[in-house]
Amino acid sequence: MTAEPVVLVDNLSKTYRVPEREGGFAAAVRGFFRRTYRDVPAVQQVSFQIAPGEVVGFLGPNGAGKTTTLKMLSGLLHPSAGGARVLGFTPWQLKPAYLRAITLVMGQRNRLSWDIPAADSFLLNQAIYRLTDADYQRTLAELDELLELGPLLKKPVRNLSLGERMKCELAAGLLHRPQVLFLDEPTIGLDITAQARIRTFLQEYNRRTGATILLTSHYMADVTALCERVLIIHHGRLKYDGGLTDLSRQIAPFKLIGVALGEAVAADLSRYGTPVQTEEDGDKHFIQVPADAVTAVTARLLADLPVHDITIADPPIEDVIERAFHE
Amino acid sequence: MLRIYQRLWQVTWAEQWQYRANLIMYLLYWLVSPVVYLAVWSAIAEAQGSVNGLTANDFATYYLTLLIVDQLTSEITIHAFGYKVQDGSLSGELIRPAHPLLTNTLVYNLAFKALSLLGLVPVWAVLFALFQPDYGTVTLANLLLALLAIGLGFGISFLLGAALTCVAFWTTRVWALYELYAGVTVLFSGQFVPLSLMPPAIQTAAQFLPFQMFKYVPVQIILGRLTWPEVLGYYALGLAWLAAAWLLFRWVWSAGLKRYSAVGA
Repeated sequence: MTAEPVVLVDNLSKTYRVPEREGGFAAAVRGFFRRTYRDVPAVQQVSFQIAPGEVVGFLGPNGAGKTTTLKMLSGLLHPSAGGARVLGFTPWQLKPAYLRAITLVMGQRNRLSWDIPAADSFLLNQAIYRLTDADYQRTLAELDELLELGPLLKKPVRNLSLGERMKCELAAGLLHRPQVLFLDEPTIGLDITAQARIRTFLQEYNRRTGATILLTSHYMADVTALCERVLIIHHGRLKYDGGLTDLSRQIAPFKLIGVALGEAVAADLSRYGTPVQTEEDGDKHFIQVPADAVTAVTARLLADLPVHDITIADPPIEDVIERAFHE
Repeated sequence: MLRIYQRLWQVTWAEQWQYRANLIMYLLYWLVSPVVYLAVWSAIAEAQGSVNGLTANDFATYYLTLLIVDQLTSEITIHAFGYKVQDGSLSGELIRPAHPLLTNTLVYNLAFKALSLLGLVPVWAVLFALFQPDYGTVTLANLLLALLAIGLGFGISFLLGAALTCVAFWTTRVWALYELYAGVTVLFSGQFVPLSLMPPAIQTAAQFLPFQMFKYVPVQIILGRLTWPEVLGYYALGLAWLAAAWLLFRWVWSAGLKRYSAVGA
């Protein structure tokens, strides 16, 4: 890649100092006079770069350090060590020019005021981000078209459903057409249809504006649909940085072979590979086979058994990532 | 920039209007102590003729004016902002290119003021009818001079209140500190009694502290009880404290942000 990276993270670390005390009255009294603290390393020496226009998935189990990293990159948190540059700015200096160029959308958190309709909060954002009426109307029309905001904008935010509110939150975060989007669980709590709509929207937004997107999600469908590249973080450390397909090859270099056999054939498939329980395809039996042995095993299966149907597939990405977390 | 304040005003006004019942409760709470002082001191002054040279009318004009000045110079930043640091809802404001305290919280204070003044007017009218104070010494010039003092008073009280609220970045127990501050303010601002009735030591200390700018000084200017040199002296004192409060606020804010942990979500 020749383009200057938009996001440049260099040995970024964050340690939280958490007050600690045991339960009980005596401990409470002791804690009053002398507080004890524990240092919790949330992010440890994380380094990566993101090129303009890239959509990168940020994965890891709860508490892995994803959100902490996003908060540092958007400027909310000061790091304990290391540095980061985004669009040439140091995020936590909170320079207005920087804040006008980025957005952070956090799952349930509101940029919108609960007591008034979203349209009023949007107008406030127009003023805060200094958008001309023409730009504002144009972007709003575009967001309306992509997210179908229409009637939602006039209802007080407290009366919206979770999905409706999330759409409005996203729109509020994108009115100023940020070049860099930090999205923390943008589809959390949404039903399948709403998730899909937000996904399509983000793809379209990225295509139209060339914005750079770093997103976390617990829904693998978000990641597979949007991101060619993923970062995997676990216990605060970066475990993987690369393509989704390479990830399977590296972490789980095996394939799943599914065979449907003739009636009343009870064959012992464990001779060919590791049998795997799956919920779908009741009449098919699945075995896990090393990637480089797939051709040989398939040939043997076909020669030995009355095979009606056979499929060869990559293991589900959820399983691959699950493995990556536990390595 | 002006547009931000204008839009913020619309939004905040609309929000607070929804909580107007709540507001009336606050207003009643704030009314109690000045009304009690007013009743007590007027009764004493009437019985004795005067207290340290202050007549019943002096007390009536002082406390009735104080009611309004107090509304204009007081701030409620700890209510409007403190919890945002603790529950992390500050995050949403922090990533917008507008200072959360100097835009949102400031306008919140002003909208609250405007709304509570609306509520205060009828109450004030009733008290006026009851005590029938003689406002003969008030002139237009005095009112204009007082306006500047009120502006200074609010500026200082807003910045000090904001700086104090920012202590929430370090400790969740900022309320106790705020109570202490409120206590000191009552003592040195002339809220209990006109400062001239306070012990000499307190009066001397008050001369150097910012708190009299919140209440005593604007009231005295309105009532025409200060000379020109005295007024100018207080302006100078007010400006100095405004600058000091600004520096303090800037320092606490930027140091506090480094401690901000953006909890939640």
